[in-house]
Amino acid sequence: MKINIFRTLCLGTLVASVAPQAQAEDLTVNRLLASQCAQCHGTNGHSVGDIDGLTDESYKDLYEDLMDMRSEDRPENIMDHQALGYTDDQVRRIALYFGTLSGKADEAPEFEDRRSR
Amino acid sequence: MSMNRRRFLQACGASAAVSITPTGVKAASAPHVVVIGGGFAGATAAKYLRMWSDRTIDVTLVDPNANHTSCVLSNLVLNRRITLKELKMNYGGLSSFYGVNVVRDRANKIDGAGKRVRLKEGGWLNYDHLVIATGINMINPPSIDYKLTPHAWIAGGQTNRLASQLNKVGPDSTVIMTIPKSPYRCPPGPYERACLIADIIKRKGLEGSARVQVLDANSSIQAEKHTFENAFNNLYGNIVEYITDVEVEDVISTEGRVITRTADYVGDVVNIIPQQRAMGFIRNAGLTGDGLWASVDPLTYASTVSGFDGVHIIGDSQATGQPKSAHMANAQAKVCVDAIIRSLAGVANDDPERVANITTASACYSPITYDQASWLSAVFAYNTDSGQMALTHLGEAERWSTGNYKQMFGWASNLFTDSFH
Repeated sequence: MKINIFRTLCLGTLVASVAPQAQAEDLTVNRLLASQCAQCHGTNGHSVGDIDGLTDESYKDLYEDLMDMRSEDRPENIMDHQALGYTDDQVRRIALYFGTLSGKADEAPEFEDRRSR
Repeated sequence: MSMNRRRFLQACGASAAVSITPTGVKAASAPHVVVIGGGFAGATAAKYLRMWSDRTIDVTLVDPNANHTSCVLSNLVLNRRITLKELKMNYGGLSSFYGVNVVRDRANKIDGAGKRVRLKEGGWLNYDHLVIATGINMINPPSIDYKLTPHAWIAGGQTNRLASQLNKVGPDSTVIMTIPKSPYRCPPGPYERACLIADIIKRKGLEGSARVQVLDANSSIQAEKHTFENAFNNLYGNIVEYITDVEVEDVISTEGRVITRTADYVGDVVNIIPQQRAMGFIRNAGLTGDGLWASVDPLTYASTVSGFDGVHIIGDSQATGQPKSAHMANAQAKVCVDAIIRSLAGVANDDPERVANITTASACYSPITYDQASWLSAVFAYNTDSGQMALTHLGEAERWSTGNYKQMFGWASNLFTDSFH
């Protein structure tokens, strides 16, 4: 018997041509990482409460916001602390996933791994 | 592994019409995953299995109840901010929107070799993968009567009973609360509850007269230490008496008497939060060894006990050492679902790219007063050296606030919806 499970596994393949590094990486890994945001921001970023949704966020804005949170001198907000739990590359993957969902993955900035500095 | 990996990537880059035959599936039908337990872990697993597999996996969710009552926010039933009814999650969305087959029944036996699970009413059910998410079981003090001295640690009738007992607290009343040794469900929960009981006393104008004695089996506060120390020492300094290293040996409920190794404590209201372990269903199957919780591989949540191929345990029942909370249960369910889908598609779960990106996130809001809350943030990542999940960053609110209290409901709305709808 055959199933088409992989079609969902490959979610995001459509943007592989515009998103950085997407062709070389497993997009289901990004999906799994990004799913950890859903407990507070809603399934696939569709928020039903007062907390901001992530459905209209571009890759660029989300990536820069998360990187800013990671570099706060004095982390104060809950999101500063959440962001500090991830690596630069994980932040990039999460931003890419939501940017892809919103159709704004092509505004991607150059990825810079700050750990190597 | 490399063959599977290559095939997987080739398939991704090629036509969307290519199919992959899942391994280990004999029947000429869609693969079948059975989820036992419809709390936060089980409901999230059922939903995401359908969503992420594009509905190509058949999912059966088994739970003895028609709906799930959330423990999240249930301390707010005690101070009458919300009712228990508002915490009832139904399975209607899982069945109608996601096509999960919801069965009201109770699982009582696993046949690991035969890959089937027995339901009390429905008989044997075959599975390709089995996800067990049955939550906690209380280790009862021998003489306790929960009708008189409720635990209220699984939201339900006992929560309402404790609420009405607390409503009757008067001048010179003593409320006793006991906290079990870690690990237990919801690490900040007991301290949060102590704060809300103190707030009830304060708002009745009984500060300096009624009091809360908190008997902790642990040597220190187990979560949000800065917040709760501040609350116990300052905000509720005249109300809360916090005593460490007190292990409950028995409870004489009719007398409100708590017997411990060091002394007896007597209260007008006694709230015993007992020691906890995985449910008998898991322990009797041999999935905990001789221990209290089920040992799993955090890359897949598959049992580490041999003879249980395709059996996964998520949420409060498993032994990874991540906090036992609804938020974490939801987080683990997604990692487990991802692993099951890959496994059915013949793609390796120990691929380095995946292994480097296994994370679970926890956020938790704790009400401290009638209209103020604090929060805790924790992110865990898989550590390749230890083979375990390790904390990568922990944060705690600097102070409790009304803004946090408001945000708590936004957090809960999305957590409830992401898990059940």
